[in-house]
Amino acid sequence: MAGGDDLVRVAVDRELCIGGGICEMLEPEVFELDDDIVISSVISDGLLPRDRADVVVDRCPGRAISIVEGVS
Amino acid sequence: MAATSAAVVDTPNVTEPSLYLEGIPHDRFTQLRAIPGLAWHPYEDGGFWAVTRHAEVRYVSRTPEQFSSAIGHTNLWDLEADALEARRSLIDTDAPDHTRLRRLVAGAFTPKNIRRWEETVRAITIELLDEFAAQGGGDWVEMVAAPLPIQVILNMLGVPVEDADYLVELSNYLVEGTGDAQSIPPDAFGNTTELRLLPFNSPASHALFEYGEGMRQQRQDDPQDDLVSHLVQAESDDERMSRSEYRNMFHLLVFAGNETTRTAISHGALALAANPDEWQRVLDDPSMIESAAEEILRWATPVMHMRRTVTADTELAGTHIAKGDKVVMWYASANRDEAVFEDAFRFDVGRFDAGRPNSDHFAFGGGGPHLCLGAFLARLEVTVLLEEMAKRSICLEQTSEPVRARSNFVHGVLSVGMQLRTAQ
Repeated sequence: MAGGDDLVRVAVDRELCIGGGICEMLEPEVFELDDDIVISSVISDGLLPRDRADVVVDRCPGRAISIVEGVS
Repeated sequence: MAATSAAVVDTPNVTEPSLYLEGIPHDRFTQLRAIPGLAWHPYEDGGFWAVTRHAEVRYVSRTPEQFSSAIGHTNLWDLEADALEARRSLIDTDAPDHTRLRRLVAGAFTPKNIRRWEETVRAITIELLDEFAAQGGGDWVEMVAAPLPIQVILNMLGVPVEDADYLVELSNYLVEGTGDAQSIPPDAFGNTTELRLLPFNSPASHALFEYGEGMRQQRQDDPQDDLVSHLVQAESDDERMSRSEYRNMFHLLVFAGNETTRTAISHGALALAANPDEWQRVLDDPSMIESAAEEILRWATPVMHMRRTVTADTELAGTHIAKGDKVVMWYASANRDEAVFEDAFRFDVGRFDAGRPNSDHFAFGGGGPHLCLGAFLARLEVTVLLEEMAKRSICLEQTSEPVRARSNFVHGVLSVGMQLRTAQ
């Protein structure tokens, strides 16, 4: 049973990203918005505790962020 | 669609613009929220599905494949195809056009990049508040609420700040255009374009287009490090942005960049004056400012609705809705939804405190790709204003009734008298 502290891996769909920059505000260690192309990407191993990943997925206006796998 | 729901006869009217002269008709929205499913609201020759609860506003906002912004119009009435094309802005597009246009401006409005404007916002705020205090009060809209956001957005765009008053004047006429009573003739500002082809059917849109064209030519010859230059550079490549998209984008940035935050700041002052104990809580504990700013935004709901058009037969809240139906998300209602906001009609500066459970307000829409572009700029402006008011222990006392906009779309306040009250 996955808990809120379990690590999951997140990814950005570059087609859907609208450059809102909310992901880099919430999780600056994981996401960075390229100022030239205005598209976000994952700059780390993409691992986040599930509860924090859920927040960033929910807040993304482009619905571009998803949890791609659970890591145990 | 066939309006067969039993709720039809009982649907209270929420579109009559004159209703809004007395404020948002919250009693009617409360009735609408209580109707199971969606309520069918007659409008002109047809009608729309009124989406009034938080949960469904959220769903429609975040499901753009089913609820299009590009079909018909995002206001209540449909536009003819040529008018829709002539007036099409970021607001009236779906992906991929929306994504392309949004990325052209999104970079300037990210939380990270908006923070770079804090010093500018603070300097403008201090100047306006000092003048307001020196005068002992006056028209809050004219002295603080209107000049702050227009000066900030003009700084970002690179438009001369001396033209702020003119652009606020144009914005006021555009607000009139969202209602049913325009005070200027069709040929005002030298306009010769059919009004139906202009945003808000207003000749002031012609004037704003002309102004934007002037800026475009200037920046083409002499690029600067500003948002207009950035747009002009994009416009030079038709694949990235057409001329028509440029002028509608310029129009949107000037209008939405000033009118909406002006509204938030106006309603903020009204709420703080009407609830001195709530402002005292902030003065006693300035760490509440962020939460107070969010509560002001919820309370104000500067844009009261947006419309979508259904792309394929579906069901929402148990109601069957058909392809082509209009669906109107009433943010003004969702922001008072008792199912989400405890004691929703109470102005509570602690509502959005980090330590308390809260939900998103929909002052910036219900989420999804059309989330307000300027959300973090508006937050910065309201937050800095509250910080500087708190530093000066400025307490507001209302001296006259607000003059409200005759509009079911923007929750505008045209003027309201405020004076200083001594802190307790």
